[in-house]
Amino acid sequence: MIEEKRNNDLRKVVWELYAYIQDNLYLNRPDMQIKGREFNSALLMSLLTGLCEGKELIIGEPGLGKTTSAEYVCALLYRFPLGTIWGSEVSGHPEQTEEKIIGRPDLGKLNKGEEVVVWSHFALLPVKIVDEINRLPETKQSMILDGVDRGNWEYLNAAIINEEYCLFATANYQDRGTNTIVAPLIDRFDVMVESKHPGANLAYFIGGHGSNGVRLRSEELEAEFHSVLSENIPYPVRMKRLDELCDRFGEWLEAQEGIRTLSVADRREIRSSKRSLPFDLDFNAFLRFVVSELSFCHHFGQKRSNEACDAGCHFTGYLCNAVRNCVSNRLPISARNFSQALAWLLGDEEVDLEHLKAVLPFTLAHRTQWKEEVVAQREKEQRSDPLEIYMAKQAVKEMHRRYMEQAGEVKNALAVACRIVEGESMRPVEGDHPIYWEIRRDLGEEVTEV
Amino acid sequence: MKNPFLDFQSVPCRKKEIPLERIVRARKEIMDRLSEGYLRLVEEEVKDLVWLVEHSHVVRTYSAAVSAIQDLQYDQDDIEEFCAELDNANAFPYMISGPAGIYLSALINNAAEEHILLRLSEYERTFHFLGYRLPEGKTLVLQGNLGDFIGAGLCGGRLMVEGTAGNWCGAGMTGGEILVTGYTGQKTGEWMRGGEIHVDGPIGGFGRARFGGKIYQRGKLVVPHESE
Repeated sequence: MIEEKRNNDLRKVVWELYAYIQDNLYLNRPDMQIKGREFNSALLMSLLTGLCEGKELIIGEPGLGKTTSAEYVCALLYRFPLGTIWGSEVSGHPEQTEEKIIGRPDLGKLNKGEEVVVWSHFALLPVKIVDEINRLPETKQSMILDGVDRGNWEYLNAAIINEEYCLFATANYQDRGTNTIVAPLIDRFDVMVESKHPGANLAYFIGGHGSNGVRLRSEELEAEFHSVLSENIPYPVRMKRLDELCDRFGEWLEAQEGIRTLSVADRREIRSSKRSLPFDLDFNAFLRFVVSELSFCHHFGQKRSNEACDAGCHFTGYLCNAVRNCVSNRLPISARNFSQALAWLLGDEEVDLEHLKAVLPFTLAHRTQWKEEVVAQREKEQRSDPLEIYMAKQAVKEMHRRYMEQAGEVKNALAVACRIVEGESMRPVEGDHPIYWEIRRDLGEEVTEV
Repeated sequence: MKNPFLDFQSVPCRKKEIPLERIVRARKEIMDRLSEGYLRLVEEEVKDLVWLVEHSHVVRTYSAAVSAIQDLQYDQDDIEEFCAELDNANAFPYMISGPAGIYLSALINNAAEEHILLRLSEYERTFHFLGYRLPEGKTLVLQGNLGDFIGAGLCGGRLMVEGTAGNWCGAGMTGGEILVTGYTGQKTGEWMRGGEIHVDGPIGGFGRARFGGKIYQRGKLVVPHESE
């Protein structure tokens, strides 16, 4: 009972933060609806990214609030003054170096023969923002792969591992100065969202009084943060001192602006309750259904980006025939993590199909490489999302329709498979969808005939 | 290996049944019973794997066949499918033509339908004794070239052969009508007691021992001859 009350309080704080950012800092229109509630997808996904230690890629035209929305969310969820966040941001440009991103040798100590690493603020802080990530050349993108994936930063012989961290990266649409984000890096992002134009009427207010984030700055505290970050003290001690400063900034925000924010303990509690939320069977079955459609290949065993499947394949109607690559194991992780966070935010007791449906397009959009002919068919269609997100939304809609037509049968097939593995003598359920074929493969059947 | 389906342990398993499967299963059940009846007949009547065409033997085999198919629900399609089973050499350990034809005749005579059509032209096996004791009110159409004793013992039914018939066609028939579009073999109408045989093609020969009935060739009465 006490736990439930505490959980509700924390949820209330997050809702207040969402409303505060939406009303004052990141003015934008709602563009999605979940269980009757309207949300702005960029803001919602950023908030969930911060809550569940995720990684978000924000795309959009220059000047439409990609970086600032991430900064506001980080400042309020993690209690860092905006100035400290600005100081830790890494900007993507061709001349970027490991020394600026991760750390550099302490030159004074080096002169004395000591090898001491001065870690960048980016590597130290739990909130990490990479601005214009696609301006980093492909060769330099690999420098941040490990850090992005595990919060593991290495320089010379030293290493730090972030106990808590979330990452936001922004990317402009392709122009002369941009590079492709390499597949291993883009796959590490949990979600991709677009920071959209808010429309002429809301845009009119942007930059006016109170909407430029000045409220989230405290120069005095920023100086203290800077001082702690620059001190040469062990990482755990430094983080402890940073936490104390964060709490002071939180108190300052509450006193100055009347905004309640989250402490480290609060965030841990939220994550713990989020993790305890169970997934319902439809969530479970639909996610398997989706993964099977995006990884299955009848001819080659699985999707591979260097192998094109035949035109006359029996599975032409499924997405395996429309995509080039195989979906990675990070997709179900992202989908589960974000769906749980969403379910927690909505106060639901179980993570269900609706949560998954809402989250899936954003987890799929950047991970799916569509075949050229499929893109050609879709790119001219009327839409309000960038092509990648639009196609992911359409794909989810299509897969959801297919799932609903045979949900009972899919769950039955999985239940029968469970009993077969447990030793019962039963025949696996046969069906046309790749999920049935995957089940039969898991049961050790050599499935070759269509 | 980890059971990747454990989350679905609590889901009750449904046995999926599509209508086609039900129909196929029902047909298979009938076919199994038909096959079982035939095998029993063969085991009882053909002890030494030799079956002699003797009047008493034929009568006894037919009676055994009728009792074997009692209480069986089947239709023309099942009979046709059973013909296909008989044609398939692998379906039965031993296949003896005489009892097979008598068993088929018993099935035809006891079927619910009054009009039965069997398409036999594609089969490699030659069927004998078809139309045996075809009763009044039944019409049997046989397509294909048939073996011996077609329409033997016919008693009132109408047998149409769209093809040829072998020797002893209509042997011992007591009534009814046999129409053959092709030729018939030797001893056509042997021991005939009544009814009519109409043959459109050549007739290999007539039975010498006849006690009644008429045989026509291309619409012309040939037996009994005007001189008889």
